[in-house]
Amino acid sequence: MTLTDLIVQQTINGLSLGAMYALLALGFTLVYGILELINFSHFNVFMVGSFIAFWVLQMFGLTGQDVILTGLPLAMVLLVAFAVTMVGSGAIGVLIERLCLRPLRDVKGPAAMITTIGVSYILFNVILLSMGAEALNYPNPLPPKRFHIGDAILDVRVILIWAVALVLMVALWLFVQKSRIGKAMRATAQDPEAARMMGVDVDKVVMMAFFLGSALAGAGGLIFGLYYNFTSFLIGFTAGLRAFTAAVLGGIGNVPGAMLGGVIIGLIEALGGQIAGAWTDVIIFSILVLVLVFKPSGLLGRMAPTKS
Amino acid sequence: MITRRAAARLAAGSAFTATLGLGSRASLAADKVIKVGVNLSLTGADAEDAKRILNGVIMALDGANQGNAVPGYQFQLMTLDDGTATAGQYDPAQAATNARKMVSDHAVMAAIGPQMSGAGKAMAPILSEGDLATITPSSTNPDITNPKFAAQFDPSGKPIYFRTVTTDAFQGPNMANYMAEKLGIKNVYVLDDSGAYGVGLADAYQAQVDKKGVKVLGRDRLDPKAADYTAILTKIKALNPAAIYYGGVGQAGIKLAKQAYDSMPKVIKAGGDGVYGASFLTGAGFPAANGWYATIASPHLVGGDEKAAEFVKTYTARFGVAPEDYSITAYDGTLVIVDAVKRVAASGKPVTRAAVRDAIQTAKVPTIQGIVSFDKYGDLADRTVSVFQIEENKAGKPDDVSAQYKYIGVAPQS
Repeated sequence: MTLTDLIVQQTINGLSLGAMYALLALGFTLVYGILELINFSHFNVFMVGSFIAFWVLQMFGLTGQDVILTGLPLAMVLLVAFAVTMVGSGAIGVLIERLCLRPLRDVKGPAAMITTIGVSYILFNVILLSMGAEALNYPNPLPPKRFHIGDAILDVRVILIWAVALVLMVALWLFVQKSRIGKAMRATAQDPEAARMMGVDVDKVVMMAFFLGSALAGAGGLIFGLYYNFTSFLIGFTAGLRAFTAAVLGGIGNVPGAMLGGVIIGLIEALGGQIAGAWTDVIIFSILVLVLVFKPSGLLGRMAPTKS
Repeated sequence: MITRRAAARLAAGSAFTATLGLGSRASLAADKVIKVGVNLSLTGADAEDAKRILNGVIMALDGANQGNAVPGYQFQLMTLDDGTATAGQYDPAQAATNARKMVSDHAVMAAIGPQMSGAGKAMAPILSEGDLATITPSSTNPDITNPKFAAQFDPSGKPIYFRTVTTDAFQGPNMANYMAEKLGIKNVYVLDDSGAYGVGLADAYQAQVDKKGVKVLGRDRLDPKAADYTAILTKIKALNPAAIYYGGVGQAGIKLAKQAYDSMPKVIKAGGDGVYGASFLTGAGFPAANGWYATIASPHLVGGDEKAAEFVKTYTARFGVAPEDYSITAYDGTLVIVDAVKRVAASGKPVTRAAVRDAIQTAKVPTIQGIVSFDKYGDLADRTVSVFQIEENKAGKPDDVSAQYKYIGVAPQS
């Protein structure tokens, strides 16, 4: 493998990771932008989303990587899987907000954040107790087709991840920028009191933020399963920490920032794995610390008041 | 006449053994209870193998109780789990807690386990101080019985860590011999999973394979908690290895198998007994698991002679799953404990932990794997390492170890 091929392959790896981190980071950032709340349950919603998709795909009769679909059946299966997963995860997010966080909306201090930690562990243990502790083989109907760029391999799954992530991120960005509720979200992020005075239904806005963020996390969970061919109750923690880092790196509360942060962390992880495998975590978090020391609001973030 | 106390003990004893799934014959009023502590990784990535090992122990204790192997004594299981959810596999801290539980329960005379060497390193000093002997059916890290490290793992000075398998001092190097001589590889990349077993095995393998003239292209560590190994695998692929060797257990092994299949389908892949078992088959699945070489630190038992065939039949009928080789080593280890208790009781001395330990040390018990005896450090006298290769067998069940792992032969001895 020549050096260029190697760099190409690691870039492909990095962008795939980055796409997943970006999807997760967006959820963090949406909620933080509006509520100034770090939602620790977010990455376990991602994990639950991965399991919802697992069950949906199983219902289609898929087990493991044996059954392969192409063309229209594949598109239909994936569409249904994504739709159900996103709605399901979104619903879980809304449930969390409604039951656990809305009563704490006006409480100062870390009560809400700690509540999200508790919810996170509840989700984690519910899945552990119902599905067991083992890594499950993921039902994957994608054909094992691959393209070669020199010696580098570009798998069909990778293209799917990028396509889906891009579509979702662009859709979210358009929604936030162009729609009425999107404008309401941006207004609430800027100043909740003023927004309320202008007639914005803050409750609805918060609910929408949780729904969208969790739906994206769910999509991320399905993508994770299709990419790695496994899922387990543990995937939330490892991916979540990196995604949270990505959100902060890009500027927490900033939607394009989350996307940028995700891609950067993904690329660093891939290149770090190439150069010094065991030190990858050290490298990632050192870069985070350095960026925050010199630009505390993150790469694209600005200090209050404007956030998203 | 049955006193009330004896009747209560009788009722409790049979209720207990019944709930634990152990059969018990109608016990006489004066039966003493001997508890056997069993510590296995029943939660996490190696749970499937743990279950199959536990079943072997249950069969042996059951047989002992029903056959009245030691008159006046009934055996009881005390099952403990050293796997935790947060670790996703064995947790040395939990293993240490379990060791303390066993030591503090005075009815526990001996133990089976642990399954994993990382747990073994945590448990050995505690068991040593409690003078509680344990027989492990699968822990292979040589440090625990190495006299050089006696201060760390055996402070009391008397061996308490016995094995019905050999150690990685042979498992690693013998596989290196096999790969160098029989597969003729010219270079290899070595990986470990940062656990005590994996690192020890990879080190032993690497040293020997280097001596055999095979070029070691590099050595890397996989994080069992991380999901993504694509970066490291891409780096390895660029070096064009003929083979990769993985020292470690299922949690990282399963992900490695899946991702290595994607990036390097033609490269020879091999591991130790951490990639041998139902956990690896169900976790990695096919086609990712296909072609992997695995070793175990014992002779190949399932599918062996008549005794083994009889065992397999009874086991499968009773538990609904097929046994693995380590189910048999666990069964054999339990037979050794039963035999030890029997000899102590027969000699008229009181059955204490120290007496049982001494009896285990001098054991010469006929079992399915042959006559089991231990050297003065607690290691198994037999040093055989067996080599297998996974070959997908669609006719068999996908988690049936005998169907999917093809036995190749005994690895060339170092």
